[in-house]
Amino acid sequence: MISPVGIAVISANTVREAVRSRVLYTLLFFAVLLIGTGVLLSTLTYVERERILQSVGLAAIRLFGAAIAIFVGIGLIHREVERRTIYTILSKPISRCEFLLGKYLGLVATIWIQLVIMGLAFVAVSWLAGAPLTHQIGLALGLAAVELAVIVAFATLFSAFTTPMLAALFTTGLYVLGHLSRDLRDLGARSDDGGVRLVATALYRVLPDLESFNLTTQALHALPVSGHEVGLALLYGAGYCGALLALAVVVFDRRDFK
Amino acid sequence: MNAGEIVRVEGLAKEFRSGLGLRRKRAVDGISFSVREGEIFGFVGPNGAGKTTTLKLLMGLIRPTAGSATILGHDVGETAFRRHVGFLPENPYFYEYLTGREILGFYARLSGVPGRRIRERVETLLAWVGLEHAGDARLRTYSKGMLQRVGIAQALVHDPSVVFLDEPMSGLDPIGRKEIRDLVLRLHGEGKTVFMNTHILSDVEMLCDRVAIIVKGAIRYEGPIAEFLHSDERKADVVLARVSLELAAGLDARWGPLTGRGEHVELHVDEKAIHDVLAQALDGRAEVVSVTPRGASLESIFLSAVREGGDAGPGGPP
Repeated sequence: MISPVGIAVISANTVREAVRSRVLYTLLFFAVLLIGTGVLLSTLTYVERERILQSVGLAAIRLFGAAIAIFVGIGLIHREVERRTIYTILSKPISRCEFLLGKYLGLVATIWIQLVIMGLAFVAVSWLAGAPLTHQIGLALGLAAVELAVIVAFATLFSAFTTPMLAALFTTGLYVLGHLSRDLRDLGARSDDGGVRLVATALYRVLPDLESFNLTTQALHALPVSGHEVGLALLYGAGYCGALLALAVVVFDRRDFK
Repeated sequence: MNAGEIVRVEGLAKEFRSGLGLRRKRAVDGISFSVREGEIFGFVGPNGAGKTTTLKLLMGLIRPTAGSATILGHDVGETAFRRHVGFLPENPYFYEYLTGREILGFYARLSGVPGRRIRERVETLLAWVGLEHAGDARLRTYSKGMLQRVGIAQALVHDPSVVFLDEPMSGLDPIGRKEIRDLVLRLHGEGKTVFMNTHILSDVEMLCDRVAIIVKGAIRYEGPIAEFLHSDERKADVVLARVSLELAAGLDARWGPLTGRGEHVELHVDEKAIHDVLAQALDGRAEVVSVTPRGASLESIFLSAVREGGDAGPGGPP
């Protein structure tokens, strides 16, 4: 049986580690700086200044959020094994599954805290520039949070069995592919070759569809977003995270800590 | 499990694979032993004998290839019973960004110590290991000896009934070693069972009730330490200074070969003969520099076990 207490203790400590890490503050600083830079970029044009400002801001949030998730996530488990801190932790009444879930949830909480800080910077810059703050922007940031949870799940899975270098390669690769998987599906659909269609569809089913979490266009143009669309994206994100974490637990449970 | 047995290991084996699984090394080769309630058990062996691998198997850090191990009647693959188990790994590593107080609080919470008791346990343990003055400093500023003390404290913070120590004196100065020895005896006095991995025979003789000798992954001997201590074979090294030629000749003739060490001479004699040797030396106006008991029987059993193990048996861990 999984104990929530052990998971909570590990999560809280993972957040504490992040709070005391200078590297994360540096990344966060640059993210906020880039959001602010939108003000400068928007002065280069006379039309749609507010839209450019918000476009740069949302892009910065998504990109830096993903960078932080990958950067921290790839070493999440590996670092514990490499530095042997895991020896004393697993000798306590906590299972490997609880440890892994605790680390994952701690990192997701950290990334979401940073997302809130970046979101606040975005709101401040938009308000100062007189750009509209629509509820679609809130939804876009909400789904960006789900996307980051999926990226952290990928990083956690890879970190559970390989080196940070390879985990970074795999996670970044899947992040890029995840944003191209819809194009791949559409490309296959347009092909006359049945084999190509089959492969493209299969790849689309396996690869993450990270564009499901991208509401940037709707946010910038204040287009309507259906609750059905958001609900499906949430379910998809939760299911994907669950599957990745289940796989990570199976892999991690079989490991020997030499 | 027999009554009073805290640890039971039966036919435990661990094989490591490397090179895409093609190369195999058997680090532990079907060992069996038991540890009884309230005793200090010494798990002795040379470097690479399989001591740490065995301890990692007991702590569930690696999975056995064959055999079984139970602690307090629970399979070591289980989790919940670990609230009664303490573990100090060799050269322990901790989160350096935490302070001494924070890390002990973290382990206490992980071990299920009730929230209202955590502060009290942390302060008690910090005082026990002499770190109350450094409790608010980050661990990255701690010396190796201080980290070893944190390791001991985290192993005991939840008041376990059985404690596993992997080379607890490793890297400590003589004062630190003495403090750890005192701590082990104190745990013993409180009725706790202590399992200690070590290759330092003097520590084993001083502390342990029973001992198992492991060489190249196989147990070569298991038995009570008292058998060694009451053996007739115990020896002592006697070092003398200002020995006249006449006295040297007399000592040499009566007690065996005399070896020179600078201005000092040394004799290797039976423990029973020490009184006579010293009397003869003092009569001859020599100065007694030192008398060092040698655990000849444990040492000899250990050495012969290592020699036997060299002839046969599996390789050490990778």
